[in-house]
This record gives sequence, C-alpha cells and structure tokens, in this order.
Amino acid sequence: MNYNLFIREIRRNAFSLIVWTGILTFLITVTMSVYPVFLENQSKIMGMLSIIPPEALEFKGISNFSDLLSVLGFYTVNNIIYMLVLGSVYSIVLSSNIILKEEYNKTAEYLLTRPLTRSEIFRSKLSVIFINIMLLNLITSIAGFLSIVLVKKGTFSLNAFLILSLYTLLLNLLFASAGLLISTAVKRPRPVTTLCIGLVIILYFVFTISKITQSVAKIGYLTPFKYVDTNVIDPAYRLDPVNVIYFICFTLFFLVVSYRIYLRKDIYT
Amino acid sequence: MNEPIIDITDLSKFYGKSRGIENVNLEIGRGEVFGFIGPNGAGKSTTIRILMNLIFPSGGSARIMGLDVVRQTKEIKRKVGYIPSDANAYSYMDAEEFLTYMARFHDVPDAPGRIRELSERLELDLNRKISDLSSGNKKKVSIIQSLVNSPELLIMDEPTAGLDPLMQSVFFDLLRSENQRGVTIFFSSHILGEVQMFCRRVAVIKEGKIVQVEDIDTLRKKQLKKVFIEFGEQADETNISIPGVVNLVTGSDNAMSFMFSGDINELTGFLSGRKINNLMIEEPSLDEIFMHYYQI
Repeated sequence: MNYNLFIREIRRNAFSLIVWTGILTFLITVTMSVYPVFLENQSKIMGMLSIIPPEALEFKGISNFSDLLSVLGFYTVNNIIYMLVLGSVYSIVLSSNIILKEEYNKTAEYLLTRPLTRSEIFRSKLSVIFINIMLLNLITSIAGFLSIVLVKKGTFSLNAFLILSLYTLLLNLLFASAGLLISTAVKRPRPVTTLCIGLVIILYFVFTISKITQSVAKIGYLTPFKYVDTNVIDPAYRLDPVNVIYFICFTLFFLVVSYRIYLRKDIYT
Repeated sequence: MNEPIIDITDLSKFYGKSRGIENVNLEIGRGEVFGFIGPNGAGKSTTIRILMNLIFPSGGSARIMGLDVVRQTKEIKRKVGYIPSDANAYSYMDAEEFLTYMARFHDVPDAPGRIRELSERLELDLNRKISDLSSGNKKKVSIIQSLVNSPELLIMDEPTAGLDPLMQSVFFDLLRSENQRGVTIFFSSHILGEVQMFCRRVAVIKEGKIVQVEDIDTLRKKQLKKVFIEFGEQADETNISIPGVVNLVTGSDNAMSFMFSGDINELTGFLSGRKINNLMIEEPSLDEIFMHYYQI
C-alpha cells in the first residue's frame, strides 16, 4: 500500500463520507424518535395497518404487526431501506468511482506513471473503501443503538442488534466489491455510477417482489438482500453461517477478479 | 552505442484486430535527444504508453535502463519523467499541491525548492487552482511534474501542444540544460520543425511501423531532391518513366515538380534534348522528406 495515495484518497472521500453518514444518522434517529408516539397510539395504528393488504405491508418489510411493537423490530422495519439500500448505494458508488475516476478524469496518466505498482494502487484504494464503509456502518450503528436505548420501553437483544449490523456491513462490502469489479471490467473510461445505483435498486426490488409473490419467491435467492436475515424478533435469531459464507465468498471472488483485471488492464484516458 | 537506455524489440500492440504498432524496433542511447515523428494514429502514443506501462504489449519487449517495462515498471518510473499528450491534473488542487503530491511519490529530498525553481523558470503561478489554469499553464504543470524527480530519462508525448512560441523557447532551453546534465530525451511530435531544431536523431513511424531511423543531418543529406522543371515547349509527359520520381505534379504551363531519389544522371539524360526554360533542383525541407517517407 502507498501511504501518500492512501492519505489523499481518505481526504478526497471524507466529505462524501460525512454527508452520507450524516444523512443516514439523521434518518435513523428521526425515525426512532417516532417510536414512543407509535407505542402510545399502537391500537389506532394497528387498526389502520389491518386494512392494508398483507402484500403491501410485506413490501414495506412488515411480516407481523407485533414486530413493530418491539423497539428492535420497529428499528429494523423502519430503517432497513436506509441501512441496507442506501448504505449499499454509498458503497457501490464509492468503489466504482475510486479507480475508474482516475481514467475518465484523465488523471491516471499521472498516477500510473509514478513509481507505484498497479497492486499498490489497488490495495491503497481498497483500504480507503474498506475504512469508509466501516466508518459509515460503525457511526450509523452507534446512532441506531443510542436511539434504541433512548426510546426503548423494555429490553432488547443487543446480540440481535449486533448481528443485524454485521449483516448490513457484509452486504455493503459485497456491493463495494461488485462496484470495483464493474469499474475495472469496463473497457472505455466513463462513469458507471448510474449503472451501479440501478443495480442495487433493481436487486432490492427483485428481492421485495420475491417476498410478496409466492410464485417467484425463489428469484429472491438471486439477490444478496435475501441473505440478510432481518427477523430480529425471532428468539432463535442468530448469525447464519451459510449467509456469512455467501457474503465472504462473493466479496472475495469479486475482489480477486477485479484485482487481476486491474493488474493487466490497458489504461486509456 | 553503449547499452541503450531504451531498447525496443519487435514490439507490437493490437486492439482486437486493429493495429496499434507492429514489430517496432528501436534503440536510444544514453544522453541522446531523440525525436519520434509521425502523424496522428501512426503509433507514437501507443509506443510511449507501452513504455510507461499504461498499456500492455501484444508481442515483443521493451526495456528501459535494462529493466523490463512490464515487470520492473516501478523501478523504471523512479528514474523517468513523463509528459503525457492528453492528461488532467487533479482539478480541485492548486498547482503547488498537485506538484507536491506528485513529488512525494518519488521521495524528492527538496521538493519545494525544485518545484519553485522550475515554476519560476516557466513563469507558473503555483497558487492557482488547476481548474482555473489555461491549457498552456496546465502544460507547464505537466512539464514541472515530469522534471521534479530529476529523471535520467524524459519521455514526452507532444509536449509543446498548448505552449505559446515564447514559452516553447523557454521549454526547449530547459530541456537543453537537462540534456547537458545527462538527461536522455525521447520526444514525440508531429511538428517536424521542432524535431529538426531540437533532436539529433529521429525515428519516423508510419502505420505502426518504423520506416526510418536516422540522424537529422543524414536525413537532410539524403539523395532526395526537390525538382522543378518548366519546359520551353509543349511537354507531352504526364509521367516520367525513370526510377525515383514521386509526388509528380504537372502544371498547365508546361511545368512539373516532383521529389527525386534516383540517379541524377538518368534525370539529366531524360532532360537532354528537351527545351527547358527553368530548372530548379533543391534540398527539400524536412516536411517534404517526411512526406516522402509516407508515400514510399
């Protein structure tokens, strides 16, 4: 890894990290601040929810009304789109740009003619991706934890909260590795941000459709969202080794392929 | 020649089925000022980009200072400066920040001093944002970054584009002083005048292949002549059937001109017995020599 490049990339991406972390933290804390009001008016809200078709509720991530009554269930149902989807969008946008932007901004001619190997460039940028995603997840998880602690009326499972946070991190890292793969695989240097954001949204949409439509339930397995277990209310909730292996294997596979492509890639500007 | 500083052997690059360069062979000695000329698309940038390991060769090999450009690129880049033809510095940095950032990769002992010295010579305001610089000033930034590590070899791809004539003169003075302290210069251009003025040896590249490697002086002294004839009678010839005539242009007033690389005795034999009003045989310009290589 090259320290000079690493520090510059950390600085370069700091503003984006602050903005994304700030927005996610804000959304999570604002959503959780509603929880006490929700509990006070639970009978009215449950009445309202009961007239909504189950498919529509499932689309929102509500499988069971009682999920919403527990603070962790409320946190998961209401923040899942922020934690999983927006966190993944941030991760894939960061990773798909960090190497490719040197090409389409025509700065690669300078960077790649310094005394650096391609491997050092890749590893330096990968470290920045990893640190940024870790920080995003750490700060939003701390914000989520504090919000839960502040609004809870009973106890909640810290273990379940940590497992959910770990799943979120694994999902974000998987999308980051996919972003790297896309950016190293493109032949012509041009931004792939729209493609990457579209990929996350489409996969989430496919996952949601698979949840509410029994006939296409199996297509959910094609999306990584399926491997994030959000059933935090289940007393048997635990970290499923199969899911963890899925995330680790795909992430490593995408990283290794990206790395090997980048080592032999012709750089055009 | 001692061990060449650049040694290219049968170097080829194909983009799918289309040709970039094909079987390029070139040796450049230490301390040389070497010109690499050819029109756009001839393969100059492709060759240079392989030397800088921006792209990978399809075949052959290239070595700089005895080091392989693919496997030992990091070691090579410690000792090489490079001016790209088309590149952008980081637009959000100011010139000083960018140059300092570039210098840090080389661990230059007195980077601020070196940057200041070069920027004063090229009259560059270091405090301006890159995004606010004119194309000429951006080129100055590019020149400075290539020299900041005091390289042994300077590889330049169309380096004068964007520089005004006054600054081109300063730039060439700077290169001469670098060359005097032993820096080898590999200079790619499609502007023959500057190659003629600055380089001692030149390679001409045509459609991805080297067609000539010559001293500039030798190139000029070649038998190639520029011939202009104005006949004093109706000239029947629309062609001259002696070897060595190219670029034949016939005028409406019994005049013709052509480039001639054949036996001058055959030409005088052809002209004998004809009435001639005017005959000029002169040294062609480098441009005309260059065009000649493109037509043979």
